Amino acid sequence: MILAGIDIGNASTETALARYVDGKMDFLASGIVDTTGMKGTRQNIHGVFASLKQALEKADLTVENVDLIRINEAAPVIGDVAMETITETIITESTMIGHNPSTPGGLGVGVGITVDIRDVNNCEKGSAVIVIIPREVDFDNSSSIINNAVKSGIYVNGAIVQRDDGVLINNRLEKKIPIVDEVSLIEKVPLNMRAAIEVAAPGSVVEQLSNPYGIATVFELNSDETKQVVPVSRALIGNRSAVVIKTPAGDVKERKIPAGQIIIQGENKKAQVNVDDGAEKIMEAIRSVAPVSDIKGEAGTNAGGMLEKVRQVMSNLTDQLPSAIKIQDLLAVDTFVPQTVKGGVAEEFSMENAVGIAAMVKADKLQMNMIAEELEKELGVKVEVGGVEADMAIRGALTTPGSNKPMAIIDMGAGSTDAAIINRSDEIKSIHLAGAGNMVTLLIGSELGFEDLALAEDIKKYPLAKVESLFHIRHEDGTVQFYDKPLDPRTFARVVILTPLGMVPIPGNHSMERIRQVRRDAKTKVFVVNAIRSLERVSPTGNVRDMEFVTLVGGSALDFEIPQLVTDALSKYSIVAGRANIRGVEGPRNAVASGLVLAYAEGE
Amino acid sequence: MAINEQMLKSIIEDVLKEMTGAAPAAAPAAAPAAAPAAAAAAAGAVKLTPVGDAAQGVASDEVVIGLAPAFAEFQNVSIIDVPHDKILKEIIAGIEEEGLKARVIKVYRSSDVAVVGHTAAKLSGSGIGIGLQSKGTCLIHQRDLPQLSNLELFSQAPLIDLETYRAIGKNAAKYAKGESPKPVPVRNDQMARPAYQAKAALLHIKETEHVVNGKKAIEQQVSFA
Repeated sequence: MILAGIDIGNASTETALARYVDGKMDFLASGIVDTTGMKGTRQNIHGVFASLKQALEKADLTVENVDLIRINEAAPVIGDVAMETITETIITESTMIGHNPSTPGGLGVGVGITVDIRDVNNCEKGSAVIVIIPREVDFDNSSSIINNAVKSGIYVNGAIVQRDDGVLINNRLEKKIPIVDEVSLIEKVPLNMRAAIEVAAPGSVVEQLSNPYGIATVFELNSDETKQVVPVSRALIGNRSAVVIKTPAGDVKERKIPAGQIIIQGENKKAQVNVDDGAEKIMEAIRSVAPVSDIKGEAGTNAGGMLEKVRQVMSNLTDQLPSAIKIQDLLAVDTFVPQTVKGGVAEEFSMENAVGIAAMVKADKLQMNMIAEELEKELGVKVEVGGVEADMAIRGALTTPGSNKPMAIIDMGAGSTDAAIINRSDEIKSIHLAGAGNMVTLLIGSELGFEDLALAEDIKKYPLAKVESLFHIRHEDGTVQFYDKPLDPRTFARVVILTPLGMVPIPGNHSMERIRQVRRDAKTKVFVVNAIRSLERVSPTGNVRDMEFVTLVGGSALDFEIPQLVTDALSKYSIVAGRANIRGVEGPRNAVASGLVLAYAEGE
Repeated sequence: MAINEQMLKSIIEDVLKEMTGAAPAAAPAAAPAAAPAAAAAAAGAVKLTPVGDAAQGVASDEVVIGLAPAFAEFQNVSIIDVPHDKILKEIIAGIEEEGLKARVIKVYRSSDVAVVGHTAAKLSGSGIGIGLQSKGTCLIHQRDLPQLSNLELFSQAPLIDLETYRAIGKNAAKYAKGESPKPVPVRNDQMARPAYQAKAALLHIKETEHVVNGKKAIEQQVSFA
């Protein structure tokens, strides 16, 4: 008889086609297409058709030849991801301009009273001033005004410029002063206030104004006032140029945004934790009450809204009341999100703390039966719902050459990370955890400030390179590759993603090293953490060290670096971990589909 | 859209006015020595002084600006009457703000913005050049690219203001530094083409009149009054 095992996953629908004669299973072909619709819904059927058709074509068969189709009892988990910013920086009364124009002018530290450049000649001789240069005064005029003022005995000690004119003005000055430019909301800069400007040499950062005692020296502050400028100096660390203006009530604050509480209901215990306490506290709370039966957010807060959204999506998909949907796991990750500083005058950005959350919801198996019935009607082939997804995956994974029981698998998909362990007496234990590929995409996108998640997805999947000339690129690892024909001019001088369809330029001014770091950190935060978390749960002793062999399966195991990151992390626990090779040919793909077919043989 | 008769007339009048203005200067084109003097008056505050054949640059901190034949000599404003001196000043300022140097050459063998830009790029020590036509059309070129390609093209001259010219200079300098600048935002107006097509064609013809086949690019000393 001809058998087809079909696995509907979060991201892809895979088929394994086999002939079963006289107790011997012979695999014929396999198929893989993108899953249509959300996993576990009626829309999946289109994907199932396409995937089955692909496998049948490879084997020169038609649907009529198939005797039995087995679909997975889709471990009914749906993951969803959300991001919550938990800190914000607020500047009151424009006391500080900490932005980083790419080309400030001049060098050094200058202190004086702020004055509009058009009024500078009304200043008393011998007074120290900082000139404010609005858009209307161009670089030729402003530089000659400053030169004249200096000649007539006014100490012009620095300039704050609206346009990007810093270097131009500096090149035309007889006496060099520090100049901070590109201050877009210059009308907000207070006049007649004492201000200090610092510009560092190219490649260095401000030292005086990023030091609280440095600010105290410049403004002659007492010890109490010095305490208050600490946030100002902290915010300026790492900038090449900075302005600090002393106003009577000005201040810079880093504020925590109350994001609400998460209430974790365990089977025996209950815990509450504030989202703004960060990911570590949340994960600790979840570990302390495990096994989790439901997670709720405080009503009327961001945390509440976020978790209720996941619940709502799931309830729509399964036709159940939202109250019947239980969130069974949650992965929280600390990250940073670039946010505009409130009250800033130069559109300053600050990397604010944020918590990314992936939630996993468990449904019932009714939906798969519905899909099976529908499929049976349309194809005229007997369709049955096979065993639990993780059990099937382990059966499939055991076809990896060199593997043996007892063994653990980690199935790294797009929506969830699943783990299962099989012992010598064939007992299987499995769990599902929140957080997988989609979470990585979200983290990459938010940390680099890309709203386009397709771009973040590409960054996650493919390596980077920098196009150094039209005839050569430099890969992430430093190797250079030459081309005979000039590359696409749109990629010139850019960091590109090396996708199979060609180079995709990444917008913005992120360096290749930074993008790579963000990508690897995101993968580590999600997959390495989840690998260890899942093995802890399925390990018979609760200890990761007591496992010996671990194979990695699922779409994310195909990634060019995730398996290495996980293998590396697990080797510290002296575990042999590696990417599975299903039936010796499929790689980490097709584990569940193959398992579905094999389980039939065992069942007979 | 209908270009009514009145509008067409006004365009033709405009052009005729400019042609009569430019004609005396056009006549002694064969005697280049006389041209700069006339040009200085015509182009307002910018003075271009030829200083011999443009040499191959070696400094990697330069961006070469290639001017089409009539620029600031026989024409002195762009298609929307932005003065040539201001355009050149802004582009040079953009390059200077990024810490690089601008070198200006005049290209005679073509009035095509791609040829002008590519010639500039090939002579540039950094490999980056800017091509600029009298009507204001502009592009950033790189020496290794095919001539008809470019890094950034600003084809709709009626939509380019001085701030954009500054940004073009900045971006060219950033490419020369090996940075990855955000392309200068380009405005697009469906009506720019029908409204300006006739004028653009005439201005281009006027520019092409000053093309000298086989003449080498001449380096220009630029001074702003």
